[in-house]
Amino acid sequence: MNIINLNNVEFGYGKLKVLKNIDLTVEEGQFLSIIGPNGAGKSTLLKLINNIYENYDGEISIYGRDVRSYKRKELARIVSFVPQDTFLDFEFSIEELVFMGRYPFQKRFQNDQKYDYDISYRAMALTNTLEIKDRLVTQISGGERQRALIAKALAQDPKIILLDEPTSHLDINHQIEVLELLKELNKKQNLTIISVLHDLNLASRYSDKLVLLKDGQILKSGNVGEVLTASNIENAYNMRAIVELNKFTNSLFITPIEPKKRDKNASLPSIHLIAGGGSGQIIMSRLLKEGIDLSVGVLNVGDSDWQLAKSLKIEMVEEKPFSAIKEETSNRNLNLMKTKDIVVIAQVPIGHGNLLNLEMALTAINEGKKVVYLNEDSEKNIDYTNGTATKIMNDLISKGMIVFNSIDKLMDYIENYKSK
Amino acid sequence: MEHNYRKKSKLSIIIGLMVLLAIIVAVVSAIGSANIKASDVYRIILSKIPIINKYVNIENITDAQFAIIWNVRLPRVILGILVGSSLSVAGVSFQGLLKNPMSDPYILGVSSGAALGATIAIINHLEYVKYGFSSITFAAFIGAIISVFIVYNIGRINNKLSTNTLLLAGVAVGQFFTAIMSFLMVVNSNDMSKIIYWTMGSLSGKGWNPVKSLSIPILLTIVVLIYYSKELNILLTGDETAKSMGVNVERTKRIILVLGTLLTSLVVSVSGIIGFVGLIIPHIARIIFGPDHKILLPCSAIVGAIFMIITDAISRTLISPVEIPVGIITAMFGGPFFIYLLRSKKKMM
Repeated sequence: MNIINLNNVEFGYGKLKVLKNIDLTVEEGQFLSIIGPNGAGKSTLLKLINNIYENYDGEISIYGRDVRSYKRKELARIVSFVPQDTFLDFEFSIEELVFMGRYPFQKRFQNDQKYDYDISYRAMALTNTLEIKDRLVTQISGGERQRALIAKALAQDPKIILLDEPTSHLDINHQIEVLELLKELNKKQNLTIISVLHDLNLASRYSDKLVLLKDGQILKSGNVGEVLTASNIENAYNMRAIVELNKFTNSLFITPIEPKKRDKNASLPSIHLIAGGGSGQIIMSRLLKEGIDLSVGVLNVGDSDWQLAKSLKIEMVEEKPFSAIKEETSNRNLNLMKTKDIVVIAQVPIGHGNLLNLEMALTAINEGKKVVYLNEDSEKNIDYTNGTATKIMNDLISKGMIVFNSIDKLMDYIENYKSK
Repeated sequence: MEHNYRKKSKLSIIIGLMVLLAIIVAVVSAIGSANIKASDVYRIILSKIPIINKYVNIENITDAQFAIIWNVRLPRVILGILVGSSLSVAGVSFQGLLKNPMSDPYILGVSSGAALGATIAIINHLEYVKYGFSSITFAAFIGAIISVFIVYNIGRINNKLSTNTLLLAGVAVGQFFTAIMSFLMVVNSNDMSKIIYWTMGSLSGKGWNPVKSLSIPILLTIVVLIYYSKELNILLTGDETAKSMGVNVERTKRIILVLGTLLTSLVVSVSGIIGFVGLIIPHIARIIFGPDHKILLPCSAIVGAIFMIITDAISRTLISPVEIPVGIITAMFGGPFFIYLLRSKKKMM
């Protein structure tokens, strides 16, 4: 039975969208783990399900009812939440902390009843915190604190328990201990568990279902075998990994190999960029992200675009620092330009030293190359040649140079280039 | 069962503290000129209670002694109890709510608002008395409420109270009001000593009137705050955790802030700014009684009351007949004691 439904959920802080297009169903008694790289929106998703963040778009329902229609106490009787890194600065004993879990069931000034007592003690017994119940929460280890917090969540007698990285900062023995406990509760009491987990191997070993998030979207959800494939991991984490079956745990085991290399994307056109003085930095990073075969030139050694291109290992034609482009250099650049599909001109200030760059673009367009100019700030003067550069620019436009006023439009053009 | 035992022990702590308070009330009322015994204080109190007074013999107490105790010292001691317990309860609530050990009842600008209000009344020589309250008291109360209102509205972002913004707004508005007060003081230098005395706080010469009108609102507010002790406990685990446990965090915060500032404004407008009590008594009570607000709130109310009436007794007898503003005594005696507690606690750990 589906007990949790998320339908086209979207959430963000202001313009920044943390989660978008989230569709998710969770069945009763499922052990679901949310995995994905840092900043993918894992914790946020958990908090949305618990109605801690209320101003989202879309629908979230628990047992068929909109979460926002629950009173806080009502919801707390169904769902409990174990947050990450709870900072407990006040000297409550573990027992006092666990008894707090009974809050949603109690009336004001009602003292703890036998029933509250039984449930809290059972929660402590299950989590092995009974023997340390009188210790102060400020004086226990990370593992003990995590178990105490789980005991508090269990004292809420929930049907669904949400955990945000319950194993972070724990030693490996405590990690396994906590997850074994959760699995046992999941199996024996049919407790539905949704947990954010960092460790893919633990997620694969204990979960029934996985949700892989990337950049606020569900990249893949389904059973462990469907989600934990080498290509999904590579996609989400930009890292190559080997996925194999661990015979001992009978679960998939992931071994990270190396960060993913930027593959040249053959379906996209190759590009030569004319830039300088920092005008090409955003263009370079966007083009490289798409895996485009990119070259730059001519750039003076030491120029800020030169530094970036150097560190990104982009193919480049360079000239000595602060000197005008020489004949020989421009020929090499022209040869490089000819091997590419498109010449992109950034909004680079043109002086006598780099005027040859523009003239090369003119040569290229005359030979039938596509030339594109990214004119993001039309107010900005780039002509420091008393009109020569403007004349060449107008010449280029009359010969069919395409002008874009934003990087996004340029990227659209490039992505649709081949299909045209 | 063990939890019954614990509950009993908590109750016995509170009863024990009450008895201690009753003893100290008599002792501090008897201290001073006029040579009165502590037991006489009880007889005077009992003689004022209907029915019981038939069985109390006060023949050997002179009229002068009776008047000193009943008209001067007792109202002063009871006002001290009200002020001490209010400041302590407000301090405990704010420290828990804002999760900041530096919080005191004045953190949201109550004191500087009240001081500015009182200053305006003093320099304008508004001297009428209504319902037993002076115009200074009224002006101080209005000043306190205005400054808290400003701070609260700055601290509210998108209908949510941001703790840090609230604290910083309290500091900024407080400094601003204090600056205006200082300016007014410099311009009206004739009234300077009166203003300074007011800001240092005093319980002297107020009579029964403030006690009569303040006790019921103060007691009610304290009871309601104790009513919220479970929520205050859970809020210590963090706002998000508290939400997930079923606490309506925003509403609870608002209620506690409003009640705490009301409590503070009421007593400050009568007694002036008595520092230290609302900051240190909560810490002392927390060290002794633990963090559970259900016991911490009532205990710190009683401990605050005891501390207040003892320091007040010192303030009026130390260099008698000159009265030292009680705020000076609270800091002078409370500071070293608190440092001692902090150090001995460190050794324990």
